[in-house]
Amino acid sequence: MTDATATSKATISKLIPVAAPLALLAVLAAFPLLGPGPNGIRLLFVTLVWVTTSVAWNLLGGFAGQVSFGFAVFYGLGAYSTAMSLNAGLDRPVSLLIGAAVAVTASLFIGLPTFRLRGPYFAIATIGVSEAVRVVMTNVAVTGGASGYRLSEHGNFNQLLHFYTALSVAVIAVAVSIFVRRSKFGLALVAIREDEDAASDLGVNPFRTKLLAHALAAALTGAAGGVYTGYAAFIYPQGVFGFDISVAILLMPIIGGVGTVWGPVVGALVYGFVHEELIASFPQLHLLLYGSLLILIILFEPGGVMGLLGKIVRFARSRSGRGAHS
Amino acid sequence: MAPILRLDRISKNFAGLAALKDVSFEVEEGGLFGLIGPNGAGKTTLLSVIAGSQAPSSGSITFRGRDFTGARSFRAVRSGIARTHQVPKPFRSLSVLENVEVGYRFGCDDRSASASKDAAQVLEWVGIGHLKQLPASRLSVGDLKRLELARTLAARPKLLLCDEVCSGLTETEAASVLRLLGEIRGAGTTILYVEHNLRAIMSICDRVIVMNYGQKLAEGPPEAMQNDPSVIEAYIGKAASI
Amino acid sequence: MTTVDVMNLFVSAVLLAGVYAAMSVGMTIIYGVMKIVNLAHAGFLMLGAYFVFELYTQFHVDPLIGALLAFPVFFSLGVGIHWLLIRRIPRSDQPTLTSLLLLFGLWLVLQNLGYLIWGNADRAILTPRTFSTLQIGPIIFPTIRLVVFGAAVASLLALEFVLHKTWFGRAVRALMQNSDAGRLVGVNVEGTARVAFGVGIAFAGTAGGLLAMMYSFTPDFGGSFLLRAFVIIVLGGLESFAGVAIGSLILALVETFSILAIPAGYQPAIAFSLLVLALVILPEGVAGLWNKRQRWT
Repeated sequence: MTDATATSKATISKLIPVAAPLALLAVLAAFPLLGPGPNGIRLLFVTLVWVTTSVAWNLLGGFAGQVSFGFAVFYGLGAYSTAMSLNAGLDRPVSLLIGAAVAVTASLFIGLPTFRLRGPYFAIATIGVSEAVRVVMTNVAVTGGASGYRLSEHGNFNQLLHFYTALSVAVIAVAVSIFVRRSKFGLALVAIREDEDAASDLGVNPFRTKLLAHALAAALTGAAGGVYTGYAAFIYPQGVFGFDISVAILLMPIIGGVGTVWGPVVGALVYGFVHEELIASFPQLHLLLYGSLLILIILFEPGGVMGLLGKIVRFARSRSGRGAHS
Repeated sequence: MAPILRLDRISKNFAGLAALKDVSFEVEEGGLFGLIGPNGAGKTTLLSVIAGSQAPSSGSITFRGRDFTGARSFRAVRSGIARTHQVPKPFRSLSVLENVEVGYRFGCDDRSASASKDAAQVLEWVGIGHLKQLPASRLSVGDLKRLELARTLAARPKLLLCDEVCSGLTETEAASVLRLLGEIRGAGTTILYVEHNLRAIMSICDRVIVMNYGQKLAEGPPEAMQNDPSVIEAYIGKAASI
Repeated sequence: MTTVDVMNLFVSAVLLAGVYAAMSVGMTIIYGVMKIVNLAHAGFLMLGAYFVFELYTQFHVDPLIGALLAFPVFFSLGVGIHWLLIRRIPRSDQPTLTSLLLLFGLWLVLQNLGYLIWGNADRAILTPRTFSTLQIGPIIFPTIRLVVFGAAVASLLALEFVLHKTWFGRAVRALMQNSDAGRLVGVNVEGTARVAFGVGIAFAGTAGGLLAMMYSFTPDFGGSFLLRAFVIIVLGGLESFAGVAIGSLILALVETFSILAIPAGYQPAIAFSLLVLALVILPEGVAGLWNKRQRWT
């Protein structure tokens, strides 16, 4: 390999991490203009909501290693708060912020008792909390109880507006994720994941750090719930607080590659598209698929899709490396 | 000169078992103090309590004149007490350099310049600079011990608590670690050194504290400890001390 | 509220405790020996229910007999699953997220299998026993609950016997305390773990069969019981079987008497709140408080 080829290869490999996401963003932004029809836009809209929750969950579950089975709490609280704000006449950005704020407040209440627990105990506690909130919301009358809550009509339905809102929130989420990963805060999160006691012995305050990550993740998830509500115009407790929502939220980053920046995005994209197709063609099989996928990932490739891709790339590189030198 | 560390009747109980019982001593600033005792004597527990990884059941800890009893480890570190772990606890998926950066960026309250540069310098000092990009999971046991030390040093402690940094190392490796300890002490850090290897302790420590069954047995210069009957008895048994 | 009412409630609670105890034993065994939180426990409860259901509707086997038959069947199933999946994950003396997620995946798979085979219609097992009651003095005992209570007590006693009086039981207790030390003294760790897992699943299947006699079920049956099992195990102390009894009793009493204080709709939230409270305040359960008082030699 000549020096020139080596340098240009190095430049290319530096450019890819920047160029690829921008290209992806361009494609997503241009998507509605490529003529997919309202159904296609709806599909991508839902997927973008999932991208947000997936990336958000990963901040706490992937970077910090605190696996929560109860993120539906934040999704649902964001959904309901945004809905109620919209109905009160507040405009959309403010309502989304309120949704995020309510979720953050909840995250503090939830985190304070539960972050004293480690690993699976924390996971189980989050199930308990999430389900308790769902039961309460199902019974509280002012939000409609089990019959749900309806958004009052405000002018025409503008699908593109919702689509670009979802896209913006997703972009913000990914940007936060990238920023965190490179920051001192991100270093603390990973240290906590690897060995919380050692991290503390080196000066990291685990409790406060976890609370902060939790709050950030909750804010984004709450916003995602708010974005969804704006589109759906009708929400009910089982639909936004349900355990299956918490499950979906955590499955996506695990499938895509937990602990990486792009893994959750990939996982959400995969889940979003596959889920729709699956529900349409094989509605009976989606649990089987996700369960088997989870089992296979845990047993054979904990790094998910990104982990698998990484292995393939490394394998291809070592092959081509040997080829160049022979 | 006031002692940098003072322990006053420190006790620690675990479910009815007294791991530490009324341990008291002082550590002079700038000194290199050894802490020895047979297995199960409570040495690591004592380090844990001083460093804040665990809280004492009773007694008090004074560091640089301030009460540090029950202070949690991240607060203790930021104020200048840092410990290594007997069994290294590396952050496996992080690189060697990143491991040390955690200590550098979080372990000390003085704001300082770019993290990587100085973390890298610590790595060089400890002798594993050549490994800095490797993930910690790929290190050998000896190198893990050095990483443990580097990470803790990067926190710029005033008081360094070393827990058996030489165990599991070859003669040469151990000798270089001991030299390093001398350099660390020379740079102004006080060291409290727990070790099982008596020769190592005797060769570098100013003073030695001997423990057994969670209690302080004796304290004094190394030569005196070697001949102290209660120390001999603790290690070898009653018959040998006669 | 008359005294008779209170007594009826109390009896109700105790019988419910029996149900809960029967249902949690399986999880406790697996947790105690292998430090694995078996989320798939719910799936096996469900399969046990359908197993007994099929035996009853196809072959007219009395559900009680069916539940008994479930034991060896599910034991084999448990051993098979351990061999296929569980032995591949790294063992630990602490519960791990890896095992949690693996068994969660298994639960999803089992649920789907249930839907594929039986669809999502509600099923129930109705026998003459279902509605009969026994009356002693002013207290009314639903027969089914008495039966289940009896079964629960019998299983717990049998378990205590095996644990304390047999070699296998001693091996299990050794593993529960320290698996490395167990291996050092010759305990076959993997073999014992496999059998213990099988036994845990066997209890789950049998419990599912018993529960099927009292509740209607669909393939996502077991979810609500799963959480209650956690509460019980945590309340009672994660590693003790007397703890299961205590935990079941506490949960059942709180649930039953809470009807007096809060609207029925909120009732499920009790288990969940108790769970969080228990995990946070009593990490070692009620039994842990007791242990702290005992002295070591």
